[in-house]
Amino acid sequence: MELLCLGLNHRTAPVEVRERFAVSTPQLGAAASDLATLANATEGVVISTCNRTEFYLAAADAQQALVLLEARLTLRESLDAGASSHFYRKVKSEAAAHLCRVVSGLDSMMLGETEIFGQVKQAYQAALAAGTTGSVLNRLFQRAFGVGKKVRTETSIQEGSTSVGNVAVDLAEKIFGHLKDSEVMILGAGEMSRITAQSLVSRGARSIFVSNRSFDRAETLAREMGGEAVRFDDWQRALERVDVVISSTGSPHALVHRADVEKVRRARKFRPLFFIDIAVPRDINPDVAEIEEVYLYDIDALEQLASEGRSRRQLQIEHCERIINAELAKLNLPGT
Amino acid sequence: MDRLFLLMATLLAAIGWIWGMICVHRGTRSHWTVAWMVAALLCQVGFLAVRGQLRGACPLQDLGEMLVFLAWSLTLFYLLIGPAYRISLLGVFSAPLVFVLQSTALIPGMLITSPSRELTPNVFHSFHSATSVLAYGALALAGVAGIMFLVLDRQLKKHHLKSGLFRNLPPAHELLISLERLLWLGTALLTLGIIAGFLMPHSTPMHSHLLVAMAVWVGYAALLAVKTWRGLTGRKLALAAVAMFICSLVVFARI
Repeated sequence: MELLCLGLNHRTAPVEVRERFAVSTPQLGAAASDLATLANATEGVVISTCNRTEFYLAAADAQQALVLLEARLTLRESLDAGASSHFYRKVKSEAAAHLCRVVSGLDSMMLGETEIFGQVKQAYQAALAAGTTGSVLNRLFQRAFGVGKKVRTETSIQEGSTSVGNVAVDLAEKIFGHLKDSEVMILGAGEMSRITAQSLVSRGARSIFVSNRSFDRAETLAREMGGEAVRFDDWQRALERVDVVISSTGSPHALVHRADVEKVRRARKFRPLFFIDIAVPRDINPDVAEIEEVYLYDIDALEQLASEGRSRRQLQIEHCERIINAELAKLNLPGT
Repeated sequence: MDRLFLLMATLLAAIGWIWGMICVHRGTRSHWTVAWMVAALLCQVGFLAVRGQLRGACPLQDLGEMLVFLAWSLTLFYLLIGPAYRISLLGVFSAPLVFVLQSTALIPGMLITSPSRELTPNVFHSFHSATSVLAYGALALAGVAGIMFLVLDRQLKKHHLKSGLFRNLPPAHELLISLERLLWLGTALLTLGIIAGFLMPHSTPMHSHLLVAMAVWVGYAALLAVKTWRGLTGRKLALAAVAMFICSLVVFARI
């Protein structure tokens, strides 16, 4: 038996091609069963996430199985001959190493992300439940999970935040701990503030207040996020109760001044206040940071932290690859 | 035997401190600090048990014993609070204080070599001494939490977020909650100590140390009252906790 992998991901195919091959989670088992019916294939697993779809097979002749699989996919999706350029093909040990890289987050759009581990596990379990795995793929996937865990524990590939939104959320957690008691106010219903606020809500932030010059937009965003719209003239009053302020208005000058915060300090009982200013020009006057309990981060500070996080992860790639190669050399997997 | 226990407790606290610092430098969590501090606590208990046997009373008669009792109290509160509330690095920050207190107790002259046995130990005197030193343990740990908050606050304010220390420090809010709880606990214990102090027999109408204890109590009670009713920034609360502990310790050491 020989191992093979045919796939496409965010690097090889645009979203309009990727979406045609996407398989929903409940369909993963059925897709794996379909895969295993391919001539000379005995085992199959289908992995499908927003950035990749990959088909793993154990077949008597890997090259022949690849041709058959590609032909079937092209036919099914009515793709032209040029579509094959979007696929990557890996056989034997290359396929095994590729799976280990995927599981470790080395092949992800956001380097080192952890979600992929669970997604691959889910895909494998669906195939296992569908009865389409055997001695080759069972061993491959189980070992790949082991290698993935080793890579994550022995390197810092998943440490640090790599996006502005994640940096902001991590900082909020460093200040407030669990966010379940934290209230958030968005000034300006822009896309960036929406994404950042959503990250805070996903980590447990209690309530969201949205204030925008156009009250209609504030109401729309507040409804979308399960929050409350605040009239733009009233944001100072809301400042008394919130813990985090995300600001991204299109204002040409600063909106929040030191005096605005000084006014509400007593009412807030001097609780910490975290300002995330992602607007350019900045919405929050830098002298607000001079207030003792205020932590102010503007877009440059957040972007710098995210960039440092990305660089730290990049530096870990070589170390991760070494671990994967060493582990695969030890394992002597069937089909490789 | 008592000095051997004390020496071991001091070495264990030093190991916990150094090991913790190495872990912080590497940017990893120091899982062993708790173990070193448990071992240090057992040695402190050994020391206090031997001295208690020799004294026939609560071993709080000389400055050395008081310092070790204080170190024991600090270690005990750390072990009760740190792991339970998952306040990482509290042990790493407490260990140096334990080390300093015990090293000072080891200086010749601090511990009476052949302590005299107390023939008629007074229960209120023992209770007063024990609760007062326990209170100081809680207040010392509040000071430690205060220092941790000040370090974290500075890093957050200055955007210095790369160090292993920053990564491993607990959230600012949790540090402040622990600090405030420890202040309440310390003040409550100090209240009991002062009440017992009034009930114990006195050679003079009012012991000077009892007056100082009352002044310290008023200071902490005022701090907690301001925090509760008016509110206080984390930095001011932390600075006050550190400064008040140092001041009261210095005053007590002088009288």
